[in-house]
Amino acid sequence: MTAAIEATGLGKSYRRTWALRDCTLAIPEGRVTGLVGPNGAGKTTLLQLATGQLRPTRGTISVLGAPPAVSPAQLARVGFVAQDAPLYARMRVADHLRMGAWLNPGWADELAQRRIAQVGLDPEQRAGSLSGGQRAQLALTLALAKRPGLLILDEPAASLDPLARREFLRGLMEAVAEHGTSVVLSSHLVTDLERVCDYLIVLVASRVRVAGEVSALLASHHRLSGPRRDPGTLPADQDVIEESHTDKQSILLVRTDEPVHDPAWTVKPVSLEELVIAYMNPANDIPARRPQLGVAS
Amino acid sequence: MIRLTWLQFRAQALTAAAALAAFAVLLAATGPHLASLYAASRITGCRGGTCATAASGFLSKLAATSPYPIVYVLGIGLILAAPAIIGIFWGAPLIARELEARTFALAWTQSITRTRWLAVKLTLTGLAAMAVTEGLSLMYGWWAAPIGEAARLGYSGQPVGMGPFSLPAFDAHGITPLGYAAFAFTLGVTAGVLLRRAVPAMAITLAIFAAVQVAFPLWIRPHLSPARHTSAALGSYNGSTHVSGSDFAFTVDHLPSQPGAWILSSGAVNAAGQPVSTIPAACAKLPAGGPGLTPCLTGQGWRVAITYQPASRYWAFQATETAIYLALALALAGYCFWRLNRRTT
Repeated sequence: MTAAIEATGLGKSYRRTWALRDCTLAIPEGRVTGLVGPNGAGKTTLLQLATGQLRPTRGTISVLGAPPAVSPAQLARVGFVAQDAPLYARMRVADHLRMGAWLNPGWADELAQRRIAQVGLDPEQRAGSLSGGQRAQLALTLALAKRPGLLILDEPAASLDPLARREFLRGLMEAVAEHGTSVVLSSHLVTDLERVCDYLIVLVASRVRVAGEVSALLASHHRLSGPRRDPGTLPADQDVIEESHTDKQSILLVRTDEPVHDPAWTVKPVSLEELVIAYMNPANDIPARRPQLGVAS
Repeated sequence: MIRLTWLQFRAQALTAAAALAAFAVLLAATGPHLASLYAASRITGCRGGTCATAASGFLSKLAATSPYPIVYVLGIGLILAAPAIIGIFWGAPLIARELEARTFALAWTQSITRTRWLAVKLTLTGLAAMAVTEGLSLMYGWWAAPIGEAARLGYSGQPVGMGPFSLPAFDAHGITPLGYAAFAFTLGVTAGVLLRRAVPAMAITLAIFAAVQVAFPLWIRPHLSPARHTSAALGSYNGSTHVSGSDFAFTVDHLPSQPGAWILSSGAVNAAGQPVSTIPAACAKLPAGGPGLTPCLTGQGWRVAITYQPASRYWAFQATETAIYLALALALAGYCFWRLNRRTT
């Protein structure tokens, strides 16, 4: 599978501080990928590097197989909606669409006009007077009408009220379903990710803590509760992500591709939110993934 | 990109066009009468000494006739201020506003490279800046041409009628406004790129541009070409004599043999060519300001030495200065390209 975004040893520093350091990851094409992590994990920096707004201090990044923003053709393949959907406040909605048509050879004007009408934007209104939800919708329309191969959204729904967020994500999902665009979406709202993403990456301090298909992640993680037990005595195929113990009881979050047969455990499924929080917690020491096949090392 | 630049620049362009039009109306309303005064002054066709008299008469009359002194000063002031205003209001916010409002994230993710985006913005807005400033200067040049001609013939010391090289006049005429506009504009853009905020960038643009505009004519312009030297007997030129005790100073501000020349310095020298300021003993008894002092000093071998730039170098000076400012503007623009492409946000 080709990668939508592939980074190797990627770093970006400002004077002495690193916004992103030694980040290596691969985001698959053809998916709606959620990028989640605490503030300061480097999500925004990573997405700015992927859209070519920033250039790496170290390492390499490629987007759909080519360096970001190297040419108008490469720029045309990537649509971007920035945090808080910045727009030109004094330009009207219609002017933004004209800008899109002027600057993008693959511009789908019919699609843009249709979306604007669908979400109820007045073409004559100035962007500065739009609500947060309307801004996000206009920014998404601009990005979609480029007909990009990859759509990147940085916290697109963070500042929207629940209704506007739902509308925005529905619009996004409709467009993705219609055009089969790959999507990378950063957010710290797990409920949003749950609704739209089929692939998840948890990024903490520039490192991938876990990555995988949402359904596979949910299937392979279990909450085990039972009599107190040393996690070291678990079968080799069970990785402990999170553990908490009382005098008598142990509660573990384990990752395993095999069913848990031990009758001492009460096994419960985990929600995506629990899973994300467990991986985001810096106190949890995430074991390196053992090979899927072969002998456990 | 050209259409987007126009869409975003339209309001400013129309403001500038309105200012140009208002200035044109003012000049068109007063220009013809000014020309008729000139025609009546008998400067045209004058010969020898009558020229300076006719020119001085014309300038004195203008200085006393409303609204010419006001329009004369206002025009020069406007032309001098235009590049600064453009640098502040067009240059400084051009990129800084994009960085401030984070709209660069929108602009730089369209299917157009950042280099092209900046090239179009800089070129179109920069050319407009140059056109507006030079437009003001050309209109004013047409209006003030009779005054300039008269000032070249006879420096009157009047508030109306500065020589071609005199400080504000040189800056407001010819082609230098092109250079100033280009420099001020790119200076503003660069300040915006570096400071990333429009208001501080506007302030720093004004400060630097004003400093350069003061420093250049004082310390650089006089040396653009090696100055010429001449000397003559003390009494042969009209000038100002200052005597205080045994101190003597003599300066000229006009060379009759070199109309329109730029006098860089002038003063008394002794027979050996050294600058002198103390009245020698032989002449010390003469009353200060009396008619005998100058002949006495002349008898001691004193002369007046003048360092100047001839009027014939006017266009060479204009071209050199404009080229220097345009080169600065290009360097600043190049830096903006490098900075936005390499360092970024």
